[in-house]
Amino acid sequence: MVLSYLRRAHSSFAAHVFDIPPRLMVFLFLLILLAVPITGISDYYMGILTSANVLAIFAVSWDLLVGRTGQISLGHSLFLGIGGYSSALIFKYYGLPIWITIPLAMLIGSLFSVLIGFPCLRVKGPYLALVTMAFPLILYRIVKWAPLTPIFGRVGIIVPSFFHFLPIRQQVIAEFYFTLILLFASSVIIYKIANSKTGIVFMSILDDEVASQACGINVTKHKLMAFVISGMFASLAGCLFVHLLRLAESSVFLLTVSFIPVIITFLGGIGTIYGPIVGAYIYSILDKYVLGQMLPNLLEQWQMTLPTEFEYAKLLIFTSIVVILVIKWPRGIARYTTDRLEDLEEARDLDERGPRIWKRYKQKNRN
Amino acid sequence: MLIEEIIIFGTIKSGVYALLALGFTLIYGISGVVNLAHGSFYMLGAYLFFIIGTLGILGSGTILSSILALIFAVILVGVIGSVTYRLTIHPVVGDEIAVMVVTVCLALIFQQLVILVFGVTFPPVRWPEDSFLMTSIRILGVPVLYSRILAFVASMALFASLLVFITKTKIGKAMRAVSQDREVAMLMGVNTERLYMLTMAISAMLAAVAGILITTSFEMFAGSWMWLHPLALSFSIVILGGMGSIKGSLVGAFIIGYAEQTVAISVPEGGQIISVVPLAVMVLVLLLRPKGLFGKRIEMEE
Repeated sequence: MVLSYLRRAHSSFAAHVFDIPPRLMVFLFLLILLAVPITGISDYYMGILTSANVLAIFAVSWDLLVGRTGQISLGHSLFLGIGGYSSALIFKYYGLPIWITIPLAMLIGSLFSVLIGFPCLRVKGPYLALVTMAFPLILYRIVKWAPLTPIFGRVGIIVPSFFHFLPIRQQVIAEFYFTLILLFASSVIIYKIANSKTGIVFMSILDDEVASQACGINVTKHKLMAFVISGMFASLAGCLFVHLLRLAESSVFLLTVSFIPVIITFLGGIGTIYGPIVGAYIYSILDKYVLGQMLPNLLEQWQMTLPTEFEYAKLLIFTSIVVILVIKWPRGIARYTTDRLEDLEEARDLDERGPRIWKRYKQKNRN
Repeated sequence: MLIEEIIIFGTIKSGVYALLALGFTLIYGISGVVNLAHGSFYMLGAYLFFIIGTLGILGSGTILSSILALIFAVILVGVIGSVTYRLTIHPVVGDEIAVMVVTVCLALIFQQLVILVFGVTFPPVRWPEDSFLMTSIRILGVPVLYSRILAFVASMALFASLLVFITKTKIGKAMRAVSQDREVAMLMGVNTERLYMLTMAISAMLAAVAGILITTSFEMFAGSWMWLHPLALSFSIVILGGMGSIKGSLVGAFIIGYAEQTVAISVPEGGQIISVVPLAVMVLVLLLRPKGLFGKRIEMEE
């Protein structure tokens, strides 16, 4: 009895919540994020949110390539590394200010993605994933070996942070706003691309490559386009990271880094653009706050401490979550809410809203 | 001297790599799973060999006990492989993206588990010190450990027996039937699910054997990073030879093995970039001849 009452209450609540138009939801989300610094939380938490912003750019770029175009890349850390290294190396050898190195790094990132995209996109499916996985591993070794980056693949200088002329608190806040603005701008651009005519072509490639070729679409060109856009934004994220952490290291090329956008996207929901953004915040808060702060504090109350290996166990937890999500709940957390929205709208005989690629993709491939 | 070293060590390594790649190509050819956790079974093999050896349930210090430990470790890895297949990969079979994401996750999970258990210690994985396997013989003027000869002979023998198994026995026939047409094979009464689990067990066992043979004769230590290089090796060999082709995996293994050994010996500080070789070969192959040496044409998705 209680359960059915709760269920009814929930559905009526959900019906009202989901009546809010998505544009307003985005606006509210942005407003909450903009208001975060006013609450006066500590620099550490601001740092978590800043890195969440950057991770969100990274994951959104992955989602455009994989979720919208169906070209699976398991080596997206390549672009992260290229963006970061080119920004740092340009700073080291030419001493250009950050405001010039960032666009330059994005340019280099997109040039690299053209170079790598041409050979990679000749193959598809598992082959593509394997090739994309190979490139960062190759670069990891080369960066460690090359004379340009002497000690363990480090650039050898301290890269300046963005607002080094400000006092530390303002610096943190300014970094947060800066990355938030960049996140907003890049996700709006990617969303617009994904919902433009080009984006529809991307979706047609995901659905059926042969059929879209038969319709006279230049499939290779569009795949390359998705690759380049994705690489460009990933290298933006890479050079933001370099300037936030203030060093460029070869460890960005590791497979675990390539896997972060996968975790984030599956948390948020693949094939949407907003899903990875939500996923990035969930991931960062889970990673740094819940597992890094809350759990140790909680255990401390019971006179227990975490073993030092726990740092590694975090990845264990996230990868297990991804396995369970892929098997049981393949549409992610953000997608779940929109599914509810769609269900309600269908129940009220309204139009379907949003792409249902992932579900259709699974139905097509599961038989 | 240089050339002889390349030939001998290249041959030995290539033999074991063939075994590694055979496991990868077997599971791909039969169930279409690109198993990115293949390297983890290699790693688990070495670790379980060490664990069983130190526990000393089967005696310790003699060659017989080491071989028993090897057999038990390999069987255990086979069981782990088929259980993980049933629990995690089987529900998503048919969806390439999901399979790859799940198997990479599995690889990372195994890696993290190893780190959790062993921390930063790197257990020595080797044959008993005083056995004749650790002494060497001169072939063409190059000193070669007996354990390396054992690795080559054992892996070639396993490769051959697996070929016989696939071509001659009834289960092997069922495997080939499933790889040709799954639905028709099911109609003919093949229990595909059980067959997939068996294939996965065989594949994992091959990886484990390769892992034990390579670590005992070349590297001597196990570490949590050691799954990545064999994975890169196995998929580049398989792509070079042609996905799903057994002959291709043998030829590909020899090409990659010799290439790797050449780089390791002739390039200054070649050991640093040795793991680039298979990946670079793979990228070149995909550029020039995407179907591989012996592969069929990559079919368009239906």
